[in-house]
Amino acid sequence: MPAIADRTDVYLERFNDALARSADEPTWLQERRKRAMERFLQLGVPSLKHEEYKYTDLSALADGQLLFGTRAGGAETALPSYAAGGASDRATGAGPQVLGHVPQGARVQSLAEALLSEPDLVQRYLATIADYEDHALCAVNTAFFSHAVVITAERGAVLDEPIQLVFGDGLRDSLPRVLIVAGRNSSVQVVETYAGSGAYWRNAVTEIYAEENARVDHYRAQVESLDAYHTGRLQASQERDSYVSSFSISFGAAVARNDIGTRLNGSGCECSLDGLYAVRGDQLVDHHTGIDHAMPHCNSHQLYKGVLDDRAKGVFNGKIFVRPDAQKTDAVQSNKNLLLSDDSEVNTKPQLEIDANDVRCTHGATIGQLDSEAAFYLQSRGIGADRARNLLTYAFAADALERIKLAPLKEHFESLLLNRFASQES
Amino acid sequence: MLQVRNLHVSIEGQKILRGIDLDVQPGTVHAVMGPNGSGKSTLASVLAGRDGYEIEEGSVTFEGQDLLDMDPEIRAREGVFLAFQYPVEVPGVTTMYFMREAINAVRKHRGQAELSAGEFLKLAREKINPLGMEADMLKRAINEGFSGGEKKRSEIFQMAMLEPKLAVLDETDSGLDIDALKIVADGVNSLRSADRSFVVITHYQRLLNYIVPDYVHVLSDGRIELSGDKNLALELESRGYGWINDEVVPQAAAGV
Repeated sequence: MPAIADRTDVYLERFNDALARSADEPTWLQERRKRAMERFLQLGVPSLKHEEYKYTDLSALADGQLLFGTRAGGAETALPSYAAGGASDRATGAGPQVLGHVPQGARVQSLAEALLSEPDLVQRYLATIADYEDHALCAVNTAFFSHAVVITAERGAVLDEPIQLVFGDGLRDSLPRVLIVAGRNSSVQVVETYAGSGAYWRNAVTEIYAEENARVDHYRAQVESLDAYHTGRLQASQERDSYVSSFSISFGAAVARNDIGTRLNGSGCECSLDGLYAVRGDQLVDHHTGIDHAMPHCNSHQLYKGVLDDRAKGVFNGKIFVRPDAQKTDAVQSNKNLLLSDDSEVNTKPQLEIDANDVRCTHGATIGQLDSEAAFYLQSRGIGADRARNLLTYAFAADALERIKLAPLKEHFESLLLNRFASQES
Repeated sequence: MLQVRNLHVSIEGQKILRGIDLDVQPGTVHAVMGPNGSGKSTLASVLAGRDGYEIEEGSVTFEGQDLLDMDPEIRAREGVFLAFQYPVEVPGVTTMYFMREAINAVRKHRGQAELSAGEFLKLAREKINPLGMEADMLKRAINEGFSGGEKKRSEIFQMAMLEPKLAVLDETDSGLDIDALKIVADGVNSLRSADRSFVVITHYQRLLNYIVPDYVHVLSDGRIELSGDKNLALELESRGYGWINDEVVPQAAAGV
């Protein structure tokens, strides 16, 4: 989709500044940034005419003001720590706050640090997993991000405790960039939390590389300001027998667009991409997922559940590609929505492209309302109407919440959900 | 305790109840019997406050207050309990969570302190064991995957927990084998007291061998056509419901 050329002036101006600031970066990174900028200028911020954005209006982002403009100061909002041990001793320069003890066998580094300690690894994976050639928002992040966090787990390292990255207020956190590389047989859990105040655009990109038999559990908890735009891309690349899970919690932002994908490059891979969104007022939340089954004997599961009230809108688009070599693929996709009001709506669409013949791919989407008989049952025992509604909402989401293996995170959002739609407590 | 006066109720324009009068004194057990479609379950639903019923005429007072004016949860907190004919499955909410919310909502309404998790569990164990159920049931989602008998026993358990003043049992006996029936009846009988009343709605006399009523009412075509003591139930059992329409109704119409 062609962009309106003059509206990208701000981006262009800023890009020259950004390049000047990152003059000490290696050439390969500067080349990638330049190429990303070139692609962004060609693609522009996606408009409603773009098939992948037909329900999600990002026109407010076209001129870059929400990204580069000065932020109106507000009360600092934050999510609690889900990691043990509070603030980490690991600093990442001017990047996000890191919570959680970083155990033996793992590293949490700023880009500058990682470029010194593991330059080959960074060059191999940074901006090579998340595609900026065809995705304008990823291109913006790639061209402009000023700080990145590089999380690496050594071969065989098992990290029992999660590492939490906190993206809060402030310009430095507008373009979060995270690279997670899990070495062979390693296991790592990462939580990214997003919260802020006022009007802004946060545009995040996380890349995950899971080596053979590695396990990565990734959570993103998004409770952005209700005036904010949040766009995020999580892209994983998996080698044989690896496991990647992603859980996307989307409660905040005026407009939230999450692109979540993984490519299964080896046989025996498994991935579980799940999410829970709960929106009200005039919020819009959009999840686009893409699972690329390139090799045989891989399993993928997807469960996205949404609760929508008032005039809120939900979008779900789930793509599953099964390549010719990917025999014995087992792919399950489910998107279930609960509408609490007459004016809320959901557009949900599975998109399966299957080029192998011995596979099992199932998908299902539902849009329903609260069971009034169940509500009456609860009320007939003395539970107030609002409380009954919240309990049933919680019950609807319970199986999705069960997929959050991190207890403090699960409990926090359970309680948020239980109280989310109450106009008054009984 | 409960006064139903000339109650006329319709569902989607169709008249179901055509002038019910019923007085329930504290400590009494009233059985309401009648053939299918006579309006028994409608009466139960209207007392509990289920949506979808049009009150065309009449009144219901509970302890001097207008019951029909209260939301279902207020009725429950005031002490009205309905044991459902078809208890609802609610996946995702455990019975424990549900009952703790319910009991504390009721206690709060009555000005009593809320129960702690420990106090609740102790009480729940006390109430659940006599019903032949394990405390493990509390950890299961409400009625999910319960057998018919388990669902009915769960209703009695909930009643025992909430200690209502007036309990309406809507065909709690339907579909129960004799052992389950006895357990349910024992559960009800153990709650009988001088200030607690029951309206036992049933299609079959069998239950009334175990829950012996003080009064029996026969509902037919939306009206209570006949009232009596427990012997009326036995007569119904031996003669069926047919004679009500054949003999009692014409007599009433003729003013005999």
